[in-house]
Amino acid sequence: MKIMLADYGVGNLHSIKKALEKNGASVDVVNDMKKLLDAKCIVFPGVGAFDKTMEMLLPYREIICDRLLSGVPALGICIGTQIMFESSEEGKSPGLSIFPGKAVKLKAKQIPHMGWNQVISEDPLMDGIADRYFYFAHSYYCEPKNKDMIIGETEYEGNIFPSFFRTANVYGTQFHPEKSGDSGLQILNNFINFAEDCI
Amino acid sequence: MLTKRIIPCLDVKNGKVVKGVNFLGLKDVGYPPELAEGYSNQGADEITFLDIAASLEYRQTTLDLVSETAKRVFVPLTVGGGIRTAQDMHAALSAGADKVSVNSAAILNPDIITESAIDFGRQCVVVAIDAKRMKDHWEVFSHGGTKPTGLDAVEWAQKAQDLGAGEILLTSVDADGVKKGYDLPLTNAIADEVTIPVIASGGCGSIEHIYEVFTKTSASAALAASIFHYNEHTVGEIKTYLRERGVAVR
Repeated sequence: MKIMLADYGVGNLHSIKKALEKNGASVDVVNDMKKLLDAKCIVFPGVGAFDKTMEMLLPYREIICDRLLSGVPALGICIGTQIMFESSEEGKSPGLSIFPGKAVKLKAKQIPHMGWNQVISEDPLMDGIADRYFYFAHSYYCEPKNKDMIIGETEYEGNIFPSFFRTANVYGTQFHPEKSGDSGLQILNNFINFAEDCI
Repeated sequence: MLTKRIIPCLDVKNGKVVKGVNFLGLKDVGYPPELAEGYSNQGADEITFLDIAASLEYRQTTLDLVSETAKRVFVPLTVGGGIRTAQDMHAALSAGADKVSVNSAAILNPDIITESAIDFGRQCVVVAIDAKRMKDHWEVFSHGGTKPTGLDAVEWAQKAQDLGAGEILLTSVDADGVKKGYDLPLTNAIADEVTIPVIASGGCGSIEHIYEVFTKTSASAALAASIFHYNEHTVGEIKTYLRERGVAVR
């Protein structure tokens, strides 16, 4: 599976690149977002801030959006998921708007929500994962208008927030599979298999 | 439910993980990437890599070692020691660190916290604080816990949070290396005042000490070194012990 990894220029793509490669994917890191238009499969990594990331994607927003909604498999991680929504309380820029809804500040005493927490999900991408603990590091979470797009949830300080999303062949995680040990590697493996079946 | 984190710490000097009491009698205990991989396989929630020599001539060697370590672990890797500028942070992140910890540099130039939080996101900015008990407060010490700074540790932690820190790595200079347990009053003083997660560090000598810091303070994570390096306990054993006593762990 050939995967294009969007590089927004802020740093650490090692974790996600090596995790995808460990599962047999060949990863092409692209810093010219125009190249994403030719992608067979895209991963939007979870590093950076909302506005800075969108600055690079904005010129191609509509066309990337069309491609994703017409069936190109993609995975967003953390901020990479938040930019798929219409907007975020973290920034001023519009998002890609693949998911109707927005990213809002967590309602909690301790922010960021940082560490390992459980994702309750019945999605096939969770197949083969026993404990379903994943690594989180975020201050905002996504609220889609259409609740059917929520495929997993997580409890934090007594509140439940959506942590796993899907529309068309686009998946989004609030957690970081690339830093979540064996559970994370398994979900990435499942995603790669899913993407292969899409083509 | 968010679980409590267990973080093995690698104190690295000249390419080797070392361990000593109060920085004296340093003894080699292994090759960082190998130890990190082993701890990750045991179920460590994160790995912290601190370059305790942090001299300029070793900078590239250290980055290579970070990169080799990052290749072998699939849990978050925090790198610290000798980080002086936002460019140093970028270099560490580019080498494969997921978070970077700053200590003395943030004391000299607090703006580095804000700059790096804006550039890289606050979740990857860890402010490390070495605190020592005075008569009626805790004072921040810089340069590996050797230089008094005149800063009050609680106030500095709050300031670091306001400037954009995502996490505090709190080490008790008094407890460090003594293996008599974490400094619980210090941990409470800081963890009760800030809203960002606090990692307790310094003094862990037994499995009970980890239980104690999680039940008697609101620390989010416990960092330890020798208990792992000398094979006294595996991460798995510690987690079983905590789980049986009602502490939520992964």
